[in-house]
Amino acid sequence: MLQIIKIEWLKVKVYRTFWILLGMAVAIIPASNLIVQDITSRIPKEARTLLGGTAYDFPLVWQSVANVSSYTSGIFSLLLLTLVTNEFTFKTHRQNVIDGWDRRDFVFAKLFWVLALAVLALVVSMLTALYFGFFYGEKAFSAEGISYMGYYFLQVLLSLCMALLLAIFVKRAGLAIVLYLGYIMAIEQLLVLTIKRYWGSIGGLLPLQAGDELIPFPLGSIGKMMPGLEQYDTSIYLLALFAYIVLALWLIFRRLLRADI
Amino acid sequence: MPILSLHNISKKYGPVQALSQVSFEVPAGSVFGILGPNGSGKTTLLSIVTDVLRADEGSFTLFDEAPTAKQRRNIGTLLETPNFYHYLSAYRNLQVVAGIKQKSEKDIARVLELAGLTARQHSAFKTYSLGMKQRLAIAAALLGDPDVLILDEPSNGLDPVGISEVRTLVKQLAQSGKTIIMASHLLDEVEKVCTHVAILRKGKLLLSGPVNAVITRDDFIELGCNDNTALKTLIGKHPAFVQLSATPEGLLQVIFRTPVDPADLNNWCAQQGIWLNHLQVRRKSLETAFLELTNN
Repeated sequence: MLQIIKIEWLKVKVYRTFWILLGMAVAIIPASNLIVQDITSRIPKEARTLLGGTAYDFPLVWQSVANVSSYTSGIFSLLLLTLVTNEFTFKTHRQNVIDGWDRRDFVFAKLFWVLALAVLALVVSMLTALYFGFFYGEKAFSAEGISYMGYYFLQVLLSLCMALLLAIFVKRAGLAIVLYLGYIMAIEQLLVLTIKRYWGSIGGLLPLQAGDELIPFPLGSIGKMMPGLEQYDTSIYLLALFAYIVLALWLIFRRLLRADI
Repeated sequence: MPILSLHNISKKYGPVQALSQVSFEVPAGSVFGILGPNGSGKTTLLSIVTDVLRADEGSFTLFDEAPTAKQRRNIGTLLETPNFYHYLSAYRNLQVVAGIKQKSEKDIARVLELAGLTARQHSAFKTYSLGMKQRLAIAAALLGDPDVLILDEPSNGLDPVGISEVRTLVKQLAQSGKTIIMASHLLDEVEKVCTHVAILRKGKLLLSGPVNAVITRDDFIELGCNDNTALKTLIGKHPAFVQLSATPEGLLQVIFRTPVDPADLNNWCAQQGIWLNHLQVRRKSLETAFLELTNN
């Protein structure tokens, strides 16, 4: 695996697009939280007391940062889509296999990025939460609610797995990016709204929504949830996230191990 | 031990039968040409061997064992087009190849020199001409000095000097004992370097084996005199006569059952009162033999 990581590193070391996208994906986490922090800090003190504190006080800061960061995690997926579709565009995925990679090695190489980017998103979000909690919050450090970071990590992991699946099936960069953005920005939201309206809470079990349901904005009104519907137990959403990740991995392996490349 | 052994390989692209029950063996140390017109299945066959495509039916062995990625690391392959990372330099691209092949990066300088790319090794691949890209692909195939090479149309995109250089290189590699499997539609190329051939047409294997056994190219003798009609009648009476045809220039091309000494033939004609003014031993070109084979 170390050998695979070394080769992937050689591929991106001097790839400017990669570093620009990565820089953006990382910077947007504290930046978007800064904007939300700025907005929430303008809530009058009386209202804040009613709400039970500010969104960036410990321990709510974990949930707030997880929620806000989840809106921008798509950039990590765009980065992954670029990396993977590049291989298909330049036909280097073929060359890697011709030169002596097992097809599995190619999948592992891309799964390395899935994991690495998800871990990076988690680390940056945790550092952001710590920074905002210490510098903007008014309460002492607390790790209570740090599990929201875990939910955020799982959601990023799933969105990256979905991006990898899409890249492997679509192969073309432009189309894959349009389809991905279309799905996360409109298609899934429409499906969630429709299913929730006609069939109830089950709409919350769609892939990315399952993560959203686990990390609502702590002060309620700004969250992504549709009010008035009961939520399932946390374990159901977690199970859905795991199931989607396993399904995506199974499809990725099946496709790359069986099909002509 | 055969380097590559194919057993009834078949492959379909939708309704198109790209390969049909192809079987042959590539002996160690041979320069094995896979011949066939465009669309005959040469690249499909090599793609299956390199695990890019999956055969619908049949199997193959590499080095007498079931094929694995580890074996491919010890085969230098140039398949179809040169595939490299456009934003990386030649050197960095070869670092990736060396990493995958698990070969030392120290060999990069040697193969770049062999391919004539040392001066441009730090330029991005996207800035390369077609010929330079092909040279880089050849350099990548030679990385780690593999004992077996698979070269699919290796002189594609090269200028005449480049073609000649590749030919010389292939010959040198063959002389050093390497096994080379080369797909080509350039018969001239094959004639000059191959010891064995397999001929494909529309996905079917027509013949395979040593070049001279597969493509029989009988020697023939071209004759002419002042009265070719009389010569035609006379030559038909020669004890070793087999077949006769005429060239557009009116000369007679005669195939004999056994090798005939030109001096003896000249003497024999003279004894019968025919004085030859043209006598030349010739050989059917590989191109003619190949066209006869693939058109029938």
